Amino acid sequence: MREKLLKYNTLIIFLLLLVISSIVSPSFLTGENISNLLRQNAPIGLVSLGMLLVILTAGIDLSVGSVVAFAGVAFALLSYEVYFSAGFLLVLLSGIIIGALSGYLVAYQRIASFIATLALMTIVRGAGFLLSKGAPITVGNHSSAILYLGTGTILGIPVSAILLFAIFAIVYVILRYHVFGRHVIAVGSNEEAVRLSGISVERTKFMVYVLAGFLASLAGLLTVGRTGVGTPNIGVGLELDAIAAVVIGGASLAGGKGSVLNTLLGVLILGMIGNIMNLLDITIYMQQLIKGVIIILAVIFQKK
Amino acid sequence: MLQANEIKKFFGGVKALKGVDLHVEAGEIHGLLGENGAGKSTLMKVISGAHAADSGTMVFNGETIVHNNPHIARQRGISIIYQEFSLVPELSVTENIFLGQARGSWINRKQLDKEAAELISSIGFEINVSKKIRELSVANQQIVEIAKALSQKVKLLILDEPSAVLGTQEVKKLFTLLRKLKTEGVAVIYISHHLEELFELTDRITVLKDGSTVSTIATKDTNKDQLVSLMVGRELSQMYPDKTQSLGEFSGTIKIENLATVKKGESLSFELHEGEILGIGGLVGSGRTEVLESLFGLHGKAPSTIRINGKPLLIGSPRDAIRKGWGMVPEDRKKFGGLLNLSLRENISMANLSRSANRWGFIDGKKELEIVNDLMKRLQVKFGNINDPLLSLSGGNQQKVVLAKWLNLDLKVLLIDEPTRGVDVGARAEIYQIIQQLANQGVYILMVSSDMEELMGMSDRILVLKNGQLQGSIDRKDFNEETILRLAIGAN
Repeated sequence: MREKLLKYNTLIIFLLLLVISSIVSPSFLTGENISNLLRQNAPIGLVSLGMLLVILTAGIDLSVGSVVAFAGVAFALLSYEVYFSAGFLLVLLSGIIIGALSGYLVAYQRIASFIATLALMTIVRGAGFLLSKGAPITVGNHSSAILYLGTGTILGIPVSAILLFAIFAIVYVILRYHVFGRHVIAVGSNEEAVRLSGISVERTKFMVYVLAGFLASLAGLLTVGRTGVGTPNIGVGLELDAIAAVVIGGASLAGGKGSVLNTLLGVLILGMIGNIMNLLDITIYMQQLIKGVIIILAVIFQKK
Repeated sequence: MLQANEIKKFFGGVKALKGVDLHVEAGEIHGLLGENGAGKSTLMKVISGAHAADSGTMVFNGETIVHNNPHIARQRGISIIYQEFSLVPELSVTENIFLGQARGSWINRKQLDKEAAELISSIGFEINVSKKIRELSVANQQIVEIAKALSQKVKLLILDEPSAVLGTQEVKKLFTLLRKLKTEGVAVIYISHHLEELFELTDRITVLKDGSTVSTIATKDTNKDQLVSLMVGRELSQMYPDKTQSLGEFSGTIKIENLATVKKGESLSFELHEGEILGIGGLVGSGRTEVLESLFGLHGKAPSTIRINGKPLLIGSPRDAIRKGWGMVPEDRKKFGGLLNLSLRENISMANLSRSANRWGFIDGKKELEIVNDLMKRLQVKFGNINDPLLSLSGGNQQKVVLAKWLNLDLKVLLIDEPTRGVDVGARAEIYQIIQQLANQGVYILMVSSDMEELMGMSDRILVLKNGQLQGSIDRKDFNEETILRLAIGAN
């Protein structure tokens, strides 16, 4: 019984919060609000998924918030120059390149991930400001396409939510059934033993940062798709929310332990906390305070 | 000094100790013997305060004690040196020795360094005390651990397999030290799988089996066979595999030339024969492990030439080595050999995942399970569930899992460093059998061992190293403990 409880504790926290939210606010469990909740949390969901991969290898990626902003700005600027698809792909490519840089520094130069990605966080944030000259940029020619991604629905379900679930499903399958996923978990569990098993620790680490960069740039596209504006100062502190979501999902910062499903629940738990407090008209200052307390409680509950 | 009576300890439903009696006198070296899982470690944790007993009494120095705190136990004079070291790698030797001993708020480094150096030389060793622990060899770490225990007043000293990481010389020094402590009235509990050591050192021996005391005997009144049968009900002669078969059927040779060694500028050349178990002997620090590491590509592209039947082979990384069918069982199972938190299944398929994956890299769970279960059966691993973490197995079974990982390859060469470190007697015999079988199937085997009996029992030929240099090669018919030791020390 106790073990079962431990195994599903993130789910329990999630359900508990769901019930409480439905009781305290009648407008919580409405289709509109749930759609909104999912749409709002799709970007951070993608970022958290990338963060999970990095954390599984006992690393951390602080640059993802900056990548989200950079991607938004880059897409807005590109929308005046190239086709939608070209802009879209170029932005994703930029995320991959930034991730590859982090990955190179961490895996091959053996710089501590905290330091390497801290530097990239600053660099990429700076690059975003330089490109946009510090001002928000409205998307030019392809606003309807990108807005569809951010705000559109298919059969009443937000497109961004469908994308989120699809990518979670893919990563779930990779971690569980693919050789690469097995390597990721193994590297975080015991790097030296993995090296002795003939697995390239460097390549595995490199790849998780590439994926984190890719997912962050995709999150940036969803973000710009919600407003139609690329904002260079968006996503500040997003990396910390992502870490919080992963940790609430029961992952260990020491690596080797973490789950895709629980990370999704972690994202939704954090999202619900914000959502219900908005519905209850709690001030943003108070919200931050309460959010922090809930993170602590959730993690303590994890450890029990 | 210590009378522990009817000690019981349960973990959930598992009865780790079912009523153990242990009486240790002052000025006595008391051996403790038992298979892994017999309850030795649990008993020692109860005595040293890491666990509280569920029932039973403990009288220490005439005083009934109930403790569940290692710190208080230490203040009472009970010190334990665990198999897993409790040292902080990033702190210096001095800092580690005096860690947790309050001496006012300010630290006088020079004074402490001096005290630490004196302490270590007083127990007969020489270590630079300002070095960090991680810079020391495992043997020296063990010595620091002992010095730390002795930095406080000790009445009862418990050592858990101390010789496992020490070379012959260090073990001798340790024994001298323990005998000296004995004359000072200290009681010593000495846990070891090495029967020779117990005979050399101890006054009495207590044998545990399945959480109960089987017997306590005066060392002079017993012999190896009796002890082993008390532990497992097995004769010693069954321990090592039958070596009477000749090696005639094989003809392959691996020639290794100019292998880099621990000593800069020196190199090593030797030959391995198909179907042969080649042992490497020598003291700790003689470069035995480094030979295996170099061969396995752990030091990058070494300027050595390896030729299999004349065909050159280039190994620049463990990855290369594994592709060529080489496997390595490292000395430190916890750090390098296995992934303790991962499942048995994941551990075994680790080195050759592609075998159970399709060409897109997706793992076929059924196929993987088949391969893993097959290997588990072949090696007779005792386990609960294939998805349990490696951690949940005993040392012997963990080692089998590490071996099984390599049997998942088309194994050609197996490098083994200390094959039975921390492995109980029963599982040891099984591991020896497995290694011999591999050799009989034509796998080249290179085995490093600090256990002389094991080295001579298993090897067909022994190379002896000193300072990374080859001192000699001895054929099985000429095996003799003294000869090997003389070569190892360089006393020829």
